[in-house]
Amino acid sequence: MSESATIAAPLERSASGLALPRNLSWPALLIALALVVLPLVAGGYWVFTLGICFANAIAILGVSFLVRYGGEVSIGHGVFAAAGAYVVALAEKYLGLSVLLSLPLAALTGALLGMLFAYPSRNISGIYLAVATMALALALPEVLLYFSGVTGGYEGLYVKRDALPGVPRELQRYYLPLAGLVAVVVLLRHFRGSRQAMALLLIRTSAPAAESFGVRRSWARLACMALSAMIAAVGGALLSFSSTTVSPNSFTLWTSIFLLVGSVVSLYSLSLIGSLVGGLFLTLVPLLLAGAGNWVPILYGGALLAVVLGANALPAAWRKRLGGGQS
Amino acid sequence: MADVLGLVWAGIISGCLYAMGAIGIVLIYKSSMVVNFAHGNLAGLAAFLVFGFTAGTLGNMAWGAAVVLSLAIMVAAMALTYLVISPLVFKSDLTSTISTLGVGLVVQGLTQMVFGPDVVSLDLPLPAWRVDLGGLRISAYDLTVLGVTALVIGALYLLIERTRVGIAFRAVSANPFASRVCGLSLRRVHLFSWIVAGVLGLIASLLIVPTTFLSSTSVSSFMLQAFAAAVVGGFTSLPGAVIGGIFVGVLMNLLSFYVAAEFTNTYMLAIILLVLNLFPKGVLAVRGGARV
Repeated sequence: MSESATIAAPLERSASGLALPRNLSWPALLIALALVVLPLVAGGYWVFTLGICFANAIAILGVSFLVRYGGEVSIGHGVFAAAGAYVVALAEKYLGLSVLLSLPLAALTGALLGMLFAYPSRNISGIYLAVATMALALALPEVLLYFSGVTGGYEGLYVKRDALPGVPRELQRYYLPLAGLVAVVVLLRHFRGSRQAMALLLIRTSAPAAESFGVRRSWARLACMALSAMIAAVGGALLSFSSTTVSPNSFTLWTSIFLLVGSVVSLYSLSLIGSLVGGLFLTLVPLLLAGAGNWVPILYGGALLAVVLGANALPAAWRKRLGGGQS
Repeated sequence: MADVLGLVWAGIISGCLYAMGAIGIVLIYKSSMVVNFAHGNLAGLAAFLVFGFTAGTLGNMAWGAAVVLSLAIMVAAMALTYLVISPLVFKSDLTSTISTLGVGLVVQGLTQMVFGPDVVSLDLPLPAWRVDLGGLRISAYDLTVLGVTALVIGALYLLIERTRVGIAFRAVSANPFASRVCGLSLRRVHLFSWIVAGVLGLIASLLIVPTTFLSSTSVSSFMLQAFAAAVVGGFTSLPGAVIGGIFVGVLMNLLSFYVAAEFTNTYMLAIILLVLNLFPKGVLAVRGGARV
């Protein structure tokens, strides 16, 4: 019970705060405003990198959602991101749709895929889900390469079409992921107050209690995976838009593990600031360490361990305030 | 027909090695409720250590010495891994499982840094002997794998059934709370299972190398087969892991010969999803009834 109370606390605080609507907090609003004006002062390189960072942050939110609401870990979310990315690329190639039109399609594909995938393990322990997601992540490149006539094989596909005609291309690739990120965060805040979210959190806290209220475990598992995969697919779709290309190389098992690392570094946060921290970490570390490729996995692994162990070593009251995952 | 026989035989051989990997994963899960996602990376590092000590990257030793030294390093590495994640183990299974991924990343990075990303070949010192039995080709390698597997599983059986630490392991995996009340040290049992799992991982990864090749990623993907074997066996059953390993080995060989060879991991995914649908508690659980 304490756990759902923990997650509820920030909401109550901001509700009793200043004149803002309860879905917003002051620091997040300031950061969002700063990011909106940033392209006016920063160079093209940073605008490009941050666009990718926002898209990664959305995919990280998908992983965090699963940890927070489902209490499960996935090392296959790269696959759902890939689904979103390929839907956007294929919709452009065959139907000539721009990303704005194919984005709902990508989200739907992600949700369906997540549900389909969670179905076999809906009634049993989450470890099976974790192992199955690992197999999924490893299987994806094989499937993509086999259907190379459609998916473009090793080289992948390009996403060239503009989303909004008339707006400079670099700015589109910055503002669209940013808008997506803000929208996902706001929707997640809104979702937190809904009956469905309460039911999911209740079943995570105590399955017998939830079942006596008529909430089924299998429903919770499917709903969690569907929503989480949908968020990841939106992230992948925007990632393909802002990086202009999709290829099997960008969605390996490592992608999925790195997404989980990002989620851990953000303390499984579903807020704007938390997901930005995770996205920045994930995007900037390989850039900063470009000369030392082998250090990247070590640094990621070390960061994951440091955050997990550090959060565990904090006093219980602090940990509650951070509200990170299952403590 | 001879094809099928040969494929099944080869499947059983590699299945034995998947089983050995799976036993390690199940041992760790049964005692400490942690799914060790670093298992493949650690086993890969072990195989690379043997390669390094025999082929000159780290030294130039005889095979026996190299294996013993790698075994010692592996035991230390497993103990260190457990030590690193030990503050989390009793707090949250989810967090400790996530932290094994961190260990896996670090180990993977270290392997790449020391041994490079290249594919290397590691030949086991086995005689090039083979015999033809009615279309079935049996080589010295096959017999070694079978012999080592039988030896390892026999030893593990005796260890778990007959020794004090084995009894403690069974007690802890059945009921950790009651074991603690009886004065058992849970940490010691956890450490035991992690170290045994590491030793099994080293043996399995060394023996699998002649059939594939050794690169910084090949052994970790071999471990997917081990995970699939564990799932087929129900994840908490040691005999189930053995049966699962052989089942996965045979099925994989048949599928890659008769359907298409490039879908190894996709078959794994299909096997895992199918088994979860048909036997959610593993193939061995079908026989057991439920107590009401």
